[in-house]
Amino acid sequence: MTAPSIEIQVRSLERRFREGEREHVVLDDVDLEIRRGETVALRGRSGSGKSTLLNLIGGIDTPNAGSIRVADTDVTALSERERTLFRRRHIGFVYQAFNLVPTLNVADNIRLVLELNGVKHASADVRIAELLDAVGLGDRGASYPDVLSGGEQQRVAIARALSHQPAVLLADEPTGNLDDQSAEIVLALLDELVRSMGGTMLIATHSNSVASYCDRVIELHNGRFESDTTT
Amino acid sequence: MIPVTHRASLSYLLRHPWQLLLALLGVAIGVAVIVAVDLANSSARKAFLLSMDAVTGEATHQIIGGPAGVDENVYTELRVRHGIRSIAPVVEGTVFADERRLSLLGIDLFAEGELRSFTTDASAGDDDSGVEALFRSLLTEPGAVVASASTVERLGIMIGDPVEIIAEGRAHSATLVAVFEDAGGIDDLLVVDISTAQIWLGRIGRLSRIDARLTDDEAVERLEEVLPNGNRLLNAAARTRTTADLSNAFMTNLTAMSLLALLVGLFLIFNSMSFSVLQRRPLIGVFRALGFTRRQLLTMLMLEAAFIGAVAALLGVLLGIVLGEQLLALVSRSINDLYFRVSVTSVDVELLTVLKGFAAGIGAALLASAVPAIEATSYEPRLAMTRSSLERRARSALPLLAIAGVATMVGSAAVLAGSGSNLVAGLAAVFMLILGFALCVPLFVRVAADLLANFAGRLAGTTARMAISGIAAGLSRTAVAIVALAVAVSATIGVSVMVDSFRSSVGDWLEQTLQADIYVGVDRGSMDLELVQDISALDGIVEVSTSRRAWLESEAGQTQLAAIRMAPGSYAGTEILDADPAEVWPAWERGDVVLVSEPYGFHSSVGPGDVILLPTDQGDREFCVAATFQSYDVNSSAVMMSRATYDRHFADDGVDAIGLYLAPDVDADTMISAIDTLGAGRQTLRIASNVSIRRISLEIFDQTFIITDVLYWIAMGVAFIGILSAMLALLLERIREFATLRALGMTPAQVGGLISAQTAVIGLLSGVAAIPLGAAMAWVLIKVINRRAFGWQIDMVVTADVLVVAIGFAVLSALLAGIYPALRAARLHPAAAMREE
Ligand SMILES: Nc1ncnc2c1ncn2[C@@H]1O[C@H](COP(=O)(O)OP(=O)(O)OP(=O)(O)O)[C@@H](O)[C@H]1O
Ligand SMILES: [Mg+2]
Repeated sequence: MTAPSIEIQVRSLERRFREGEREHVVLDDVDLEIRRGETVALRGRSGSGKSTLLNLIGGIDTPNAGSIRVADTDVTALSERERTLFRRRHIGFVYQAFNLVPTLNVADNIRLVLELNGVKHASADVRIAELLDAVGLGDRGASYPDVLSGGEQQRVAIARALSHQPAVLLADEPTGNLDDQSAEIVLALLDELVRSMGGTMLIATHSNSVASYCDRVIELHNGRFESDTTT
Repeated sequence: MIPVTHRASLSYLLRHPWQLLLALLGVAIGVAVIVAVDLANSSARKAFLLSMDAVTGEATHQIIGGPAGVDENVYTELRVRHGIRSIAPVVEGTVFADERRLSLLGIDLFAEGELRSFTTDASAGDDDSGVEALFRSLLTEPGAVVASASTVERLGIMIGDPVEIIAEGRAHSATLVAVFEDAGGIDDLLVVDISTAQIWLGRIGRLSRIDARLTDDEAVERLEEVLPNGNRLLNAAARTRTTADLSNAFMTNLTAMSLLALLVGLFLIFNSMSFSVLQRRPLIGVFRALGFTRRQLLTMLMLEAAFIGAVAALLGVLLGIVLGEQLLALVSRSINDLYFRVSVTSVDVELLTVLKGFAAGIGAALLASAVPAIEATSYEPRLAMTRSSLERRARSALPLLAIAGVATMVGSAAVLAGSGSNLVAGLAAVFMLILGFALCVPLFVRVAADLLANFAGRLAGTTARMAISGIAAGLSRTAVAIVALAVAVSATIGVSVMVDSFRSSVGDWLEQTLQADIYVGVDRGSMDLELVQDISALDGIVEVSTSRRAWLESEAGQTQLAAIRMAPGSYAGTEILDADPAEVWPAWERGDVVLVSEPYGFHSSVGPGDVILLPTDQGDREFCVAATFQSYDVNSSAVMMSRATYDRHFADDGVDAIGLYLAPDVDADTMISAIDTLGAGRQTLRIASNVSIRRISLEIFDQTFIITDVLYWIAMGVAFIGILSAMLALLLERIREFATLRALGMTPAQVGGLISAQTAVIGLLSGVAAIPLGAAMAWVLIKVINRRAFGWQIDMVVTADVLVVAIGFAVLSALLAGIYPALRAARLHPAAAMREE
């Protein structure tokens, strides 16, 4: 095998939501393949199903039909518990709203994920220091999230999402709450860290500058992929 | 058209049905307990007043005599020689029919006239009707009795049926000749002709009292002039009132308990109301930005609180009525055992009680919402408060709160020290103590949670740290729940320590006071004197003591008198508290010297060396108080007199009970059956060894405290709901946080465990906080409230198991309350939860 292997493989994926009587098809027979190490921007109008797709790939939602393979695992065949354990090990999430745990300081927010993955305290300390240095917050380990700026919080969230070196990073509008300058810093960081890890990244976004960082841009429209461009 | 703000608030309430339900429940339970206790107390009291009314009838005054009652001749003299018409003789007592305790009222139908209304509307059967027939049968048929329809129904008899009546331990055959219609206060009452009553109650030639209807002062004066010495003319209404007042302390205690339940309920209301305000902070910001004034928004929130308060109060009143019926049975049983006869079958809902309930409910809801509402509307609209900056604000207020709390507790101590023997002030001090303590709890929670979080973080990892620091982080939420649980648990500690201490004092006292080997008496009545002699003469009996209890009455009130003929062994049974027994006893046996019980001394402020005035057969006489003695008797406010002194001042040879001291080799059970045989056919005696009296007394003691038990379980229930609602509130607020944790790879069990750990620590903190408060409450209940209510001195006994049980109970109830929130957090669908903002 010479070609890089496929990290994310989506087949005939369908996701519908019931709203009272009506049924609302958000994803309609979607197919998608993303190679290991690729970074992909996922675009589409608001409500087009970007977040839904990320949630399905990350295993916090289940499809009505179709299958998803991530890192050689058929996520759709897993039980709830298995999906959780899979996610814990292989997936990193970054959200628009940062979603740090407010009662834990910056270091402990990261430690939480390391502990879930069974990393011992001493090696966790080393890893946390590395990560915080990498995101430029080496001196903020003891701070609580509510005293950080939005950009800083998002950098912590990135450090947390990458702490256990997941195969796949899923980012849902990571710069949506940030000003242009902070957004730029965050994107550059994401790009650099994920690539250096050799990870695969899928970013849902409206922003053109985000797309410019990615290897590929795919467009979601009416529940299907409209276009797929390699940059 | 409803204004849009009100529509917004209404739709908010309806869209959070759980929250609404908990707020309603909090107010409703608090109100229900208040209403229930109020109803039970007032119904019991009212029933008593009604029955007094029915029995007293139109009489304005009553002529009473000494312990042996009024001589029959006094009545004849008054009527025949002095021509006083509006008087009627009465003989009263307690009898038993079919094991039921009944009041016996013996009246003279000729003299009755208009005095008592129920005797004029009785019917004696189908063919034979009217008052005349009733007269005829009451007078001509020996043992003819009349009773109310419901009494008759309860006894399961019909007109013409024979009934066996036990009076003074002797059986008599009676016949039901007529039934009168049910009316207030005449339940469990048998009416007979006066001579029948005299025979049954062993009061030949004596009357319990003479009822009189005196319409002007002149008539009163005239009667007083001709009244022989030793008899007194008393105002009937005043007399009824002083009797009813006997149970005041008991009822005050119950009311205090119900206020405690409301207090715990208040925390619950505060929790739910403040939560619903906090949650709408962003919405309030939007309204402010749109141009609504602070006042408009405040009005909206307060109206909402008033609305919730009113709906909940309605529920609470209904619930309270149901609860009140249950409680009434317990209350009237206690009153019957301790104070006077009441027979109540249904609660009587008074408007005042209902109004009280509504005022408490709406007031509590307004009070609980005012603080968060004022706070939430006080910000500049653009200042979008985040949860964490809000908590920071709350945190900075903690030291201030604690200082206010300490000040309140100091105030409570000052009230205690400066209020003499005032019971109400004592209760107020208890509430100040609780309030002051409650204000200090949040600071304690914060410090304790911070310490514990560090410790747990090191020991069990970041998840454990997160669980515990979540308590301190959500302080505005958790502290209220912890305070509510701590107050409820401390109340259980306080009350159980009090009951335990009380019980052990009573146990010791019974041990000491029951010196004789066997006690013999009659159920409600005097002993046959010949029988007493025969028993005393039995082989194997070395010494005999006798006792007689009498109520002395004068304008000043009622005094219980115990006349004792001591056996040599009896003296040790009375503990002299404040004098040398070796000097006290000889003086007591010889002169006009009495001992007073501790409660009597406390309430009347008399001690050794003081002189008290007692109404004797020769008029009011002075007696010197030699000392105070210990007594935990149910009606323990009493004066103790030697039998010799009693005989000098009262023409009464009655004996209520005797104590028998056996020779060393005599078996108590053998002696008991010998006495039983001796009494057979003469009088049904109550014979008991000192051991069994002690056991039965403690059983009665325990029964009396069932009410306290019921109330504190209710307080615990309210606290339980408090934790449940606090945890649900936290859950709702932090749903995104939990969803994030799930996305990061925490399993549902881990998330659920997080909440359970949190509630367990909440329970633990509450339990720990409850201990000092509970101990302080116990101390105040024992040393202040009991002392002021009953005059008893009780030694405080604290056992470790009370404390362990309290902490265990706090943790367990918190864990139980956390189950549902934990399940909900575990079942949370992370993708859907993430979408919620
Ligand atoms: N749990 C749900 N229940 C009902 N409808 C849902 C649910 N989740 C998503 N939807 C619907 O699915 C559609 C896609 O939602 P999704 O959040 O994936 O869009 P999006 O592309 O991420 O939009 P945005 O750019 O605004 O974030 C929307 O119409 C939304 O209403
Ligand atoms: Mg989205």
